[in-house]
Amino acid sequence: MMSRHHSGAYANGYPRAKTFEISPHRFQPRASTPATRRRRKLLIRLGIFATLAILFGLFVWPGSNTIVSIFSLGLVSANNDVVMDTVRYYDLSNVQGTARGWEREERILLCVPLRDAEPHLAMMFSHLHNFTYPHHLIDLAFLVSDSKDRTLEVLVDRLEALQADEDPKQPYGEISIIEKDFGQKVEQDVESRHGFAAQASRRKLMAQARNWLLSAALRPYHSWVYWRDVDVETAPFTILEDLMRHNKDVIVPNVWRPLPDWLGGEQPYDLNSWQESETALALADTLDEDAVIVEGYAEYATWRPHLAYLRDPYGDPDMEMEIDGVGGVSILAKAKVFRSGVHFPAFSFEKHAETEGFGKMAKRMQYSVVGLPHYTIWHLYEPSVDDIKHMEEMEQERKAKEQEEKQKTEKEKKIKEQFSDASSQWEKDKTEIQNLAKQEPKKEGKQDTKKEAKADAKKGSTSEDKKTTGEGAEDDSNTESKSKSKDDSDKVSEKPAKDQAKKVES
Amino acid sequence: MARPMGPVRLRRTNYVTLSIGAALCIFIIYFLTSPGGHSRSTTKHSSPIPKPSHKVRRDVQRFDLNKVTITNDPVGNKEKILILTPMARFYQEYWDNLVKLNYPHELITLGFILPKSKEGNAATTALQAQITKTQKGARPFRKVIIERQDFEPPLASQDESERHKLANQKDRRAAMSKARNSLLFTTLGPDTSWVLWLDADIVETPPTLIQDLASHNKDLIVPNCFQRYTDDSGKLAERAYDFNSWQDSNTAQELAATMGPEDLLLEGYEELPTYRTLMAYMELEDMNDVRAEVPLDGVGGTALLVKADVHRDGAMFPPFPFYHLIETEGFAKMARRLGWHATGLPNYKVYHYNE
Repeated sequence: MMSRHHSGAYANGYPRAKTFEISPHRFQPRASTPATRRRRKLLIRLGIFATLAILFGLFVWPGSNTIVSIFSLGLVSANNDVVMDTVRYYDLSNVQGTARGWEREERILLCVPLRDAEPHLAMMFSHLHNFTYPHHLIDLAFLVSDSKDRTLEVLVDRLEALQADEDPKQPYGEISIIEKDFGQKVEQDVESRHGFAAQASRRKLMAQARNWLLSAALRPYHSWVYWRDVDVETAPFTILEDLMRHNKDVIVPNVWRPLPDWLGGEQPYDLNSWQESETALALADTLDEDAVIVEGYAEYATWRPHLAYLRDPYGDPDMEMEIDGVGGVSILAKAKVFRSGVHFPAFSFEKHAETEGFGKMAKRMQYSVVGLPHYTIWHLYEPSVDDIKHMEEMEQERKAKEQEEKQKTEKEKKIKEQFSDASSQWEKDKTEIQNLAKQEPKKEGKQDTKKEAKADAKKGSTSEDKKTTGEGAEDDSNTESKSKSKDDSDKVSEKPAKDQAKKVES
Repeated sequence: MARPMGPVRLRRTNYVTLSIGAALCIFIIYFLTSPGGHSRSTTKHSSPIPKPSHKVRRDVQRFDLNKVTITNDPVGNKEKILILTPMARFYQEYWDNLVKLNYPHELITLGFILPKSKEGNAATTALQAQITKTQKGARPFRKVIIERQDFEPPLASQDESERHKLANQKDRRAAMSKARNSLLFTTLGPDTSWVLWLDADIVETPPTLIQDLASHNKDLIVPNCFQRYTDDSGKLAERAYDFNSWQDSNTAQELAATMGPEDLLLEGYEELPTYRTLMAYMELEDMNDVRAEVPLDGVGGTALLVKADVHRDGAMFPPFPFYHLIETEGFAKMARRLGWHATGLPNYKVYHYNE
């Protein structure tokens, strides 16, 4: 505080004019003026703090509509509320898709086409459970077509359970199940599915199903669309973020499948992700308008570089490769790609259909189409008819081997039994002989008999030892052969699971 | 009293300046740290119709598309129809005509897409005013969806002469195709039976347009698009407007065979004599038979009724040369490749705005 002495005339609030009064220092009730002024000052300060607090509060909690609505806009929006139910306004430039979608709350539409997929649903839901992308930002869309099993019922049950999950992070956004039968005659088993002759029409039907699903489920608020097959066995939980980070219009990982050891352990699965080659383009020119080139068949030698074959298990998972055709097992695409009209051609588009045609069409519209050769997900291994035959043979072989082993052990056992019999016989014989021998030299000294008895006992104990050790060895070999046979069966039936574990680690 | 005033005043205003400074600091820090949040909240309130807070339905929704019928009696079967309009300018006559359609409004969903340009903003404002009025009225539509999009390449000018120049056609119609596709694939949904494409400059149609077109039960069906004008003598007359509905010709096929893959074969330009049979100039025996049908190979988009299944199968408006065709003409070709056929009604007329 300043000393009152100096500030006197000016600090106490007297008007300047009063300086010219004759007695400026006559008595004044000085205490009163500063008091009111101090009060005013205090009020102003309080006011400033209050407005500051309100403003700060407004900015910190902009969502609290009660405060916002005080200012003008409340009236407008209240008026519009009646109309709001039927009118929607969307700005599509807000949903273009960015590299860090989870931070901008970008919504993903996850599309899964299903047909006779009941056995795979459990696996799929375990994947749904594990996605790290915020679940409430993911809308699920399923197309159930021409299913003869209980796919639909199981799906509905599981989805309802998922949505009712206690963990608030589990339930997904909007869920739609679309039913549509296309009257497909094509069987879904592995043989007919992958036979060359059936490919073109099968691919066109698949494309149709995908288009129906997408056109029914895509909304103006989706930024991304993720296509996922139901029979993916192993995939990283972070796959959505991992693919999104690349910020490409269309992106696919590498798809392999685990195999039993006798088939080499693992194998490229999805051959639909490839780069165009001169040979294939020349081939395409020779085919008629409705022909569809399909990959992985000897009939069409295209010499294209396939994403699948370029995998290096220790390669950089972020490495990108430009591709022209894409496989449909796991596609992440910006929703704007689909909005602008790119779809899965159910006709021969540049001699390709379905996902490969999709890649071609996206390229045609100058979108970036990229594959990640060293980022791998694993498709379920379904043994083919040949594989099953081979496995049956192996099983028989194994059984025969087991049988042989059993016989062998039995034989050994028998031999041993006989041996132990012989030894006891020998023992008996021995004692008899000894008895005889005792009787003969009875007249000899007592000490001798004692000695003999001692030796006798010694012999007996050693033979007993021998017996027990022999039996122990026999037991060991038995268990060993058993565990061995168990190992064999493990190898056949549980190999994929083991591989899976391996993959998770890698 | 020669006394320095400075330090005294400084000290006296100290608290005020400090508090103002603090307030400013808080503001500055706030704007620096969270620019996104604030701008979002302002845009949210600046548009007349705010973006709806996204209400998520947690339940499992099931849609059986086997039960969505598409028949020649859409009113009787309560079939839902989607009317889609790409719009750059708002014409009051368009809206009045739309409201006059006597198909049950509770079965009609409207979809609009507008560019994010100055012109588009003006059109949006005008459109929203009309929508609000209609939706509060006696016959509201089932749902109205307004979408905004940046068109790349931007439509430089919407003038009639500029718009129709051959060189500008490819870019213009590619952008138009993308707009149509964006609108289509985000609004189609699981319960639509029919899609009616109606341009924003169609100002006069029969009020029974939807029923009339659907009664033919065709995959794609196009009425003839005309334009009313006053001729030199001051009389009201009409002339053909849309030349995109045609039957293919051998000449056009041969011409196409010589073209590069990125070239377009457009209709109505002297540089490209195609000799296609245009629906606009078709001479039919009975000029009054409004139900007369002709098969078509290319269609115009000014008014076009399509079965929703055609779009669901993937038929869209190609924004690239597809068999040397683009936009609506390319759409007809793509539908054809998927096994759907286009039909024209030469004597059934709708009218385009006269610029």
